[in-house]
Amino acid sequence: MTDEPPLIELESTSADGSAPTIPGVQGDRRDIHDDPNAPVLEVRDLSVEFKTDDGMVKAVQNVSYTLQEGETLGIVGESGSGKTVTSLAILGLLPKKAQITGQVLFRGRDLLQMNERDMQTIRGRRIAMVFQDALASLNPVFKVGDQIAEAIAVHADTKVATDDDRVVDLLDLVGIPNPKERATQYPHEYSGGMRQRAMIAMSIANDPDVIIADEPTTALDVTIQAQVLEVFERIQDRTRSAVLLITHDLGVVAGVTDRILVMYAGRQVETGTVDDVFYNPSHPYTQGLLASLPRLDQRRAGERLYRIKGQPPSLIFLPPGCAFNPRCPHAEPGLCDVTRPELVDVTPDHRSACHFAADLFAGKLETTA
Amino acid sequence: MSFDSDVSPSSVPTGSPRFDRERVGDFQPGDMATQMESGLGQENLPGGSLPDEGELQPGVEPVARSQWQLFRRRFLRHRMAVISLLVLIILCMMCFGASWIAPFPKNNQDLLAPVAGPSGTHWFGTDTIGRDEFTEVLYAGQISLKIGLSVALISTVVGVALGSLAGFFRGWTDQLVMRVTDLFLVIPQIVILSIAIKKFGQSDTMIALVLAALFWMYTARVVRGQVLSIREKEYVEAARAAGASSSRIIIRHILPNIIGPIMVNATLAVAAAIIAESTLSYLGFGVQPPSTSWGNMLSSAEGVIGTPRAYLLYFPGLMIFVTVLAVNFLGDGLRDAFDPQAHE
Repeated sequence: MTDEPPLIELESTSADGSAPTIPGVQGDRRDIHDDPNAPVLEVRDLSVEFKTDDGMVKAVQNVSYTLQEGETLGIVGESGSGKTVTSLAILGLLPKKAQITGQVLFRGRDLLQMNERDMQTIRGRRIAMVFQDALASLNPVFKVGDQIAEAIAVHADTKVATDDDRVVDLLDLVGIPNPKERATQYPHEYSGGMRQRAMIAMSIANDPDVIIADEPTTALDVTIQAQVLEVFERIQDRTRSAVLLITHDLGVVAGVTDRILVMYAGRQVETGTVDDVFYNPSHPYTQGLLASLPRLDQRRAGERLYRIKGQPPSLIFLPPGCAFNPRCPHAEPGLCDVTRPELVDVTPDHRSACHFAADLFAGKLETTA
Repeated sequence: MSFDSDVSPSSVPTGSPRFDRERVGDFQPGDMATQMESGLGQENLPGGSLPDEGELQPGVEPVARSQWQLFRRRFLRHRMAVISLLVLIILCMMCFGASWIAPFPKNNQDLLAPVAGPSGTHWFGTDTIGRDEFTEVLYAGQISLKIGLSVALISTVVGVALGSLAGFFRGWTDQLVMRVTDLFLVIPQIVILSIAIKKFGQSDTMIALVLAALFWMYTARVVRGQVLSIREKEYVEAARAAGASSSRIIIRHILPNIIGPIMVNATLAVAAAIIAESTLSYLGFGVQPPSTSWGNMLSSAEGVIGTPRAYLLYFPGLMIFVTVLAVNFLGDGLRDAFDPQAHE
């Protein structure tokens, strides 16, 4: 990868040198309903359960986090750890049978209490979502430009036809070459990376306060991943949107996020800044995840990659005590399989849900890494 | 009268480009290299892994085809459908332009030549009271075609509306709509038709309305099935996540994807309605004289079977036959053109 993608700089920085804006955006996003002192997004004690024939699936339990203006939070976890359900719950996109408790405060307003009509003014306008599979998320019968225009039109107060220039500017912003021509093409004429960029263009079309990106790079190959992540960073530099990046890829998180939330079996097991979590993982699960990453250094020939033994638990029959205890190298019978550890501070901004968090943090226990 | 819907609900909507062999084939070979990759900042592999298609010419300007262009190409390749479309256009022009084309005024009696066989003056002969059969067939065609088209239009609009409501909202809406649909499907149509027409009058408008009331269920069922499958697509969820309301999702995001099956059903409804109208007229419940349709021309020529005047039966019958056949071929062509997986 020697070539830089042809990223075209937009001359949208205002003359007085104030924060750059994307086309059509005027400064402060807050409206009269917003609590000026509240964080952009605050999830409090969110739990989601689904009733199935086999029993209650506890998809998400007691998840809490805060997202500040311009911040990027990475939610990490393996499949079925509740990452996606959390994000769908925020936007009220879960099926009706889902039982949701807790609070999702968007600038102080609880989205879970909001009616469908009000939610529609939030979705896409204030909180936008980028889905994993861009091809499936783009409507095959619409030109890409028209789909972006549609995303704007959904929230337009007037019936005025969307400005084509705006669509072209957006495509330009996410680094799509020949945006004018590209806008008139169909999704199948785009490559995978470009589709994802088009999705990002669509998500930022209304300059949202929060962008939820659900595994935005999973379907892409590594070089394209890097480019898409770069687009995210650039967008964020410009728009100062807060980003919730959901992924199972620790490499992705390390590159672009400010803080990390690690989830396991529907619960958060560790949160902290990227440096805290990567350099001083204080939960055996996080340690296991980091240890299982292939490394170019520190690896002897013939040595196998570390893997966390066992399988993630069924969300219907969670193990008693700590959900991770059957797979944990440090599990202590009588403690870990009885009492569920709460999140505790290891440092003021770094929390872990492990009985041995302090020991792990201090390196007193032999780590797997 | 039963409207034999030949459209399988599984016929693929215009989407799913991933499997569109034909569309892939439509790309100029240079396409993928020049258009798709260039923007990614990747170096094109020399001699790259491009689809090997003999006509690779360096410097050929890539041509991206729109959905409409692809549709048109596939349709034009369907020869019978193209011929049928031409036949229908000519037929419509002749019937609706009858006042200019017809050699005689409507209901003009040539008392010197009643029941005369086809001749230079009267191409299709004259009927029992000396009216020029060709003129009459053209004017009758106005009513038959009008009924056919309006029934197709009304039943399609109603069917699409109800079908998409049922498919999209599911639950009790679905139950309600589909049980009503079932009800309309099981009632004996001829009986209902004759009673309704006797009660509401025999104007062509009324006949069209009553026929439409008995035709919408087929479209509704097909549309419901299609909507049920499309509503689960990720782009529908993406639209919802973008803040689109339910009505917007149905109209702007789902229906464009199932335009194919809807169009095909509509063409088939035209044919079915023309036949249904003929049946009604033949039974005496159709349009009443002095209005004529192909159906009641057949009906009034009933007595000529086996006599030298049998031509009175042939011409209106031939018109029905040609129209219905052409409409069916057209529907076939449309289905193939809308189906991206269609093979040649």
